[in-house]
Amino acid sequence: MNIVARLELWKEQGAISAQQEAHLASLSRGEPFSLSLELNFLLYAGVLAFVAGLGWTISTWSQQIGDVLVLTILTIILAASFWYCFSRAPAWSAAETTAPTPIFDYILYLGSLVWCVELAYLENRLHVLSGQWDLYLLATALLFFFLAYRFDNRFVLSLALSSLAGWFGLTISHWPSHQDATYRQYALLYCLVVGATGAVLQRLELKSHFLNTYLNVAANVLFWAVLSGVFDSQDDGLWFVGLLIACGASLAWGLKRRQFAFVAYAAVYGYVGVSYMLLRNANDFTLILTYFVFTAIAMVVMLVQIARRFGRPE
Amino acid sequence: MRIYTESSEETLRARKLLKEWTGDGALTQEQYQSLEPGTASNLRTTNIFLRLVLFFFTVVAVAAAAGLFFTVFLSRPSQQTSGIFLLLFAAVSYAVAEIAVAKGRLYRYGIEEALAVCSVAFLCVGLGALFTADAPPSLREIQLVVSAAGTMASLWIWYRFNLWYAFPAAMIFAIFLPGCWTASDSAQHVVIAVLYAAGLICIASIRSCHRFDYLEDAYSLSEAFLWLGIYLTFNLKISEFSLLSLWSPTRFTSEPASPFYWTTWVLIWCLPPLILTRGIRRKDRFVLAVGAITAVLTLVTNKPYLGWQRHTWDPMLLGVALTGVALSLRRWLARGPGGVRHGFTAAHLSGKDKHAMSVGSAVLGLVTPQSITPPPQATNPEHRFGGGGSGGGGADF
Repeated sequence: MNIVARLELWKEQGAISAQQEAHLASLSRGEPFSLSLELNFLLYAGVLAFVAGLGWTISTWSQQIGDVLVLTILTIILAASFWYCFSRAPAWSAAETTAPTPIFDYILYLGSLVWCVELAYLENRLHVLSGQWDLYLLATALLFFFLAYRFDNRFVLSLALSSLAGWFGLTISHWPSHQDATYRQYALLYCLVVGATGAVLQRLELKSHFLNTYLNVAANVLFWAVLSGVFDSQDDGLWFVGLLIACGASLAWGLKRRQFAFVAYAAVYGYVGVSYMLLRNANDFTLILTYFVFTAIAMVVMLVQIARRFGRPE
Repeated sequence: MRIYTESSEETLRARKLLKEWTGDGALTQEQYQSLEPGTASNLRTTNIFLRLVLFFFTVVAVAAAAGLFFTVFLSRPSQQTSGIFLLLFAAVSYAVAEIAVAKGRLYRYGIEEALAVCSVAFLCVGLGALFTADAPPSLREIQLVVSAAGTMASLWIWYRFNLWYAFPAAMIFAIFLPGCWTASDSAQHVVIAVLYAAGLICIASIRSCHRFDYLEDAYSLSEAFLWLGIYLTFNLKISEFSLLSLWSPTRFTSEPASPFYWTTWVLIWCLPPLILTRGIRRKDRFVLAVGAITAVLTLVTNKPYLGWQRHTWDPMLLGVALTGVALSLRRWLARGPGGVRHGFTAAHLSGKDKHAMSVGSAVLGLVTPQSITPPPQATNPEHRFGGGGSGGGGADF
């Protein structure tokens, strides 16, 4: 029985009304057929291609065009984009809001990306901050956080988190030695800042739907940092303990909140780290293969149990 | 012939739609509670994350088990022995996949999928090893056997288990088939296109019997892949970088003067409107997407095809064109009665679309950090403006 026949049956049983049956049957038949997803993708691709071309053109022809003209054009685009966003946006709300117009989000993307182009141009040509890229990144991150919260936009929030990560990375690039260890510490600090910010803002009910973005970014950076610590043989197992704690926390969070991405992170990152620790001095190929056979089967069994108990389709 | 019964698949589909419609507000929570028991299935399903992780660990276990078998029981085996045992592994993997579904009632669970995929991999590697053992080894014969077996096995897995990704895998295996029959690059392109076109005719005739049922999406996706395959085969500027070119002993060199070259140029302009028309007439999302992708690819590769110089502002023009098309189409549709024209609307109809866009936008923001993160060497005050390689987002100056 296909879905149209099933809807008819539900109507006959009185489970749904005739209007509901007609509406859902037409949806199943694609009547009307929504092109919303396709149109949004075209707009996104269009904005991205435009900014890519803009950056390429400026980087190639800046000498011929001249700084004043380049900066004027970029500033006009930037000002027009932000003027559009601020003039069309509804009053701010702490709850999730929808874009006021279909093209609103894309104008905001355009403005955000052009901001990056203009900053890069300013610093590369005029050296306004004498190469202090970290300050640009921090300013950019702060601006993007503001825009993301003002206009309820996940894309700009992701840009903000990336900029902040860049700021953490660039700040420590001034350190002359022990870069790996220092990077790791800053990565952990970044996770702490991002995770805590997300949690606090969620508790304050300020755009609580952003929490998942914060946590996914923080979890991945945290696992990469801890894993790189595990792989660093100079450490004495502290990172390994950290990895186990992170895996436990991720697993518990994933199961409690039915966020199975965190279960997957715990399983894969944890397996990689534990396998490295157990096999790093192993030379016997048979032993290594035996290890993989049994542990992979054990992981499958454990995950099946988790799936049976918690992991219903989303 | 299919491993899952039609009623099981339809029940699962009804369950999924029921949840989606309730989420969209088309059904009340009470209606959902009363209808949900009627969509209970005896198949075991899970969510995408656990499915991916189970797939990963099953592949690790199977690959390690095969490696362990060779290490423990066969010391320095001949090619022929390795080939035979790999074929045995293929058979065992496939049998276990069947048992996992028959006894374990697994449906898109990762485990049975990984076993089926491993069986195809073992089959191809095993056949390759078996035929390499024959003296003198002929590369073309091995290529023919392996690619034919890979194509058939992938198609079988696609049909039997209804796994969408087995279909493009079969198409990729098919790319290597014509290399055994002809050394001519042009002929190879034509043969691949003919194979895909034959597949397209079969799929198009079969899918008309599956309007609105659970197989509609599967056939739609396969048709979209075939259209994309045909287009990519004919677009010589793209296929120069494809598997066909890498595998071919004589690298394809596009000769601007040859009739074949200009025929393909005509075809890459004819195919996108054809695909878009087909997608619009059938209201097929996947075919429409391929139509749009091929249209963009035609615009991007047209200048290299004609030997014209590319300009730095070409992406800007493309961006303006894409945005213009999207805005005009949206406005035109919105002006129709009830925001609908010819059965199409620009409005959101499903919460699934919104969810996809919100997840997509968050991911896209994260995967494009280069667009906002300047390279560390920019801290050098002597760094000169210019020489941006990618132009992505404009920060790579």
